[in-house]
Amino acid sequence: MSASNCLRCCLLRPSVVGRAGATAATAKASAAATARLRQGMPLAAAAAASFSTTANRGANQKPKPGTKAAERNAPPSIRQGKLFTIKKKKKNDSGARVKSPLPGERKAFRKRILLSNTNALPVPGLTDLGAESMLDPSNVCKVLSLPDDVVDQLRADEAFKTTQCWSMFRKPSILIRTETVDLITRMHAAAKTNKTLRLVLTGDRVTGKSLMLLQAITQAHLNDWLVVNIPDAQELTTACTEYAPILDTEPIQYMQQNYVLKLIQAIKKSNEKLLLKLTTVFSHAGLPQNIPIKSPLMQLANSAKEAEGAWAVFQAMWQEMTAQGHGRPPMLLSLDGLTHIMRISDYRTPAFNPIHSHDLALVRLFTDHLSGATSLPNGGAVIAATNRNNAPRNPSMELALAQREAEQLGGGKDVPQPQPYLKGYDERVEAVLRNVQVIKLQGLSKLEARALMEYWAASGVLRITVDEKSVTEKWALGGSGVVGEMERASLLTMRF
Amino acid sequence: MVVSLPLPITITITITIPIPHPPSPVFILGVNFNENKLVKKALESFYALGPQTSARVMAKYYIHARAKVGTLAPKTVTALTAELSTMTIENEARKIVLDNIKRLRDIGTYRGRRHAMGLPVRGQQTRNQISNARKLNKIERKG
Amino acid sequence: MASSRLGISTALRGVRPSSRGQWRPLDQQFQALQLFNDPKSTRCLSTDAGSFEDFLKTQQDQAIQAAPGINLADIVDFRNISYARAVPVSPSYFSRQPRFNDSYLALQKLMQSYGKLPVVSTGEVERVAWKSLVEFRQMVGERVKASDYVKCLEIIKRLHRIHPELKPPIFVEAFQAFKRDIQPFTNKPNPIRIDWVGRALGIGRRKSSVARAYVIEGNGEVLINGKTLADAFGRVHDRESAVWALRATDRLDKYNVWALVAGGGTTGQAEALTLAIAKGLMAHEPALKPALRRAGCVTRDMRRVERKKHGRVKARKMPTWVKR
Repeated sequence: MSASNCLRCCLLRPSVVGRAGATAATAKASAAATARLRQGMPLAAAAAASFSTTANRGANQKPKPGTKAAERNAPPSIRQGKLFTIKKKKKNDSGARVKSPLPGERKAFRKRILLSNTNALPVPGLTDLGAESMLDPSNVCKVLSLPDDVVDQLRADEAFKTTQCWSMFRKPSILIRTETVDLITRMHAAAKTNKTLRLVLTGDRVTGKSLMLLQAITQAHLNDWLVVNIPDAQELTTACTEYAPILDTEPIQYMQQNYVLKLIQAIKKSNEKLLLKLTTVFSHAGLPQNIPIKSPLMQLANSAKEAEGAWAVFQAMWQEMTAQGHGRPPMLLSLDGLTHIMRISDYRTPAFNPIHSHDLALVRLFTDHLSGATSLPNGGAVIAATNRNNAPRNPSMELALAQREAEQLGGGKDVPQPQPYLKGYDERVEAVLRNVQVIKLQGLSKLEARALMEYWAASGVLRITVDEKSVTEKWALGGSGVVGEMERASLLTMRF
Repeated sequence: MVVSLPLPITITITITIPIPHPPSPVFILGVNFNENKLVKKALESFYALGPQTSARVMAKYYIHARAKVGTLAPKTVTALTAELSTMTIENEARKIVLDNIKRLRDIGTYRGRRHAMGLPVRGQQTRNQISNARKLNKIERKG
Repeated sequence: MASSRLGISTALRGVRPSSRGQWRPLDQQFQALQLFNDPKSTRCLSTDAGSFEDFLKTQQDQAIQAAPGINLADIVDFRNISYARAVPVSPSYFSRQPRFNDSYLALQKLMQSYGKLPVVSTGEVERVAWKSLVEFRQMVGERVKASDYVKCLEIIKRLHRIHPELKPPIFVEAFQAFKRDIQPFTNKPNPIRIDWVGRALGIGRRKSSVARAYVIEGNGEVLINGKTLADAFGRVHDRESAVWALRATDRLDKYNVWALVAGGGTTGQAEALTLAIAKGLMAHEPALKPALRRAGCVTRDMRRVERKKHGRVKARKMPTWVKR
């Protein structure tokens, strides 16, 4: 009960006030009385004026002049207790105002890729990858580090992902798995015979598909291949970049100028040495800049400065890079997030019809190479990795990949068939994936797991002794050696 | 921004941040839009232009869903303005609504009466929650 | 029955065993009448407390009757006897708790006779559930004092410890009244067998989940509902608790598990698996039981969601108090 209420009820009760006037009995009453005395009002008059037998009438009564002042001036009652007051927050007067981040700074921070951690221990005996390291089966179950120049190239390719734990270790290093050797051997065999390896990496969540792609790109860079990497296919089909129709195409195709410009810059940066060495062999019309024959490819790439002519430059570059019989190196065309380009995109035609992803020119370029409709004349590989997180449901792709996998295992009867009552199969997707090789990634073997854990332990990230017991434990907790899950169970324990 | 880490191996991390510059406004149909505004939102700010119509208008000029006003080519902006000027939006659309209400009132329908009284038109309860009707339902309707 | 009777009164009693009970007809009691030639020997001690059924039967069959007249001429030639009186069968005939007292006395007697026999240690004694005071009171229908009953039970427990091979058969009968009708310790779970392929099927429950786990010797592979551990449980903690039995005993790399779980949520399923796998593991290696118990894998966690009560918002939560 607040002080003002107390006072009012005192004033309204004549018996109390009267007695107060006579004997000054209660503290409350005396407080009121003293207040009135101070204003020179007779106590009896105050009592008489405020006489009321019912609370209702008292409530409706007009406040006497001076009553409010009386309340205000009254000393705090004993029974009032301490009042709870909310203090105003003190302003930071020290002058150091917190600077809000610039536009885009937060995103850049979120997307940044740290490839080194000075707090991690350098792993003794860690050797760099060589051009042939990933071909050698004796290197299976070994962790090898990426050479610095390749790291820069990979960074330009955006082959590193934020979700991977590069920032925990001293130096970016990779584990050579049996699948790695398998993949790299296939790449080399194709390149030797001027053929194109067309392959899809698939597997469950966090089984290392993107990392396998990174290994393929690394190998390509180490062996001086030309590399064109589309790091996240999602950007192509979710209608987040400019698009424009390409004239003279039937059915009409769409170019994505801004994305292509970005891609050209990435290619330029990652294949710098090769592009400087190689020279143009064709004359190209319709470029933003006239490029004479026998000028380095880098000049061609540099001519794309604005989104306007980027697609024309990209086409010219593609023609040059895949020119036959001019000593062009093999080429790696890779893409992460295959699921996203195997569906109808979020783009719309002017008539508001949805555009199939395969009608986007850049996607078409990739799918044509993946399906084998066009091939890389100088040999090389077209590798795509599926993605499981944030992936749209894609029954045709899943079915096609399962079929290819079953066929590779030689199971005649066990090849899965389409479900008759399921809608949403896409013929164009099936056509693309009718004839590809599939590597399905699964968990690591125990030996691989052990090698990896030893590397973690040597880096000081994993603080247990690595022996049979602990390896089996993490291997089992990671769902039979799924790399990402093992990482979660042993390195990222503080996150959950 | 270049951040060099004190490392034995030299890895430079280059984070490019778009340098902010004073936004230059873009005029669409005489309305001034901040260049960082989404085209979709800019279009939908016109009266009687909803998500469906805006999506169709954008598709017509090859503008992707997450395009910002600042990225539009001047050619596209004029085309958009031309397109919008042919559509019944803003005052024209408002006038249609007003005419409809007026018609109802003139015929002397119940709905017209309710509009005039500022009460719900479609048989809703009036005990509570009729603030929207009070706000909007008028013969000279605004908004 | 007969073996538990001691003293001379044996010969004079037990003519009609069916009618034995606390309240004997007088004619029968009269048979216990004796000449006091040797006062020591006449101090008879009745252990004949009778069973509960007998007691009930007696109550039903025979309403309390007045004692028939004593025709002394019929019984004995008492002309030469100078002094005679009627002696009740039980010395506790006039006490408030005759049945309890009878058994108490009988036990004390047994203690005197057999108390010196060698005993086994407490861990080895066959576990028996004794009647609680309330149950015993209900059975005998007497207001037995708690302290007395405790003393009585102390004697029983002491006697029960006597080496089983030396235990006289009287004990069975003497203890019968004090044993609970249902002996929970005789309920033994069926031992889990290892089948012809080498699997041991353990069943575990927790909350509302039920898990069946086939544990088989192997190399640490775990499949739960056909999925790997990582697929079955998104949370690392749940994965750990699912294989906790194997992990705590360092057997993760020596067994494979194929399990089916149903019902409940992730925590319930994971912890149901803990128990199921522990049981399966114990079938393979019974010696692991203490280790598993220390790891908390042996006991079923009986906690369930408490039911909601009327007048409350949840099980315990009260509605907000409103003044009026």
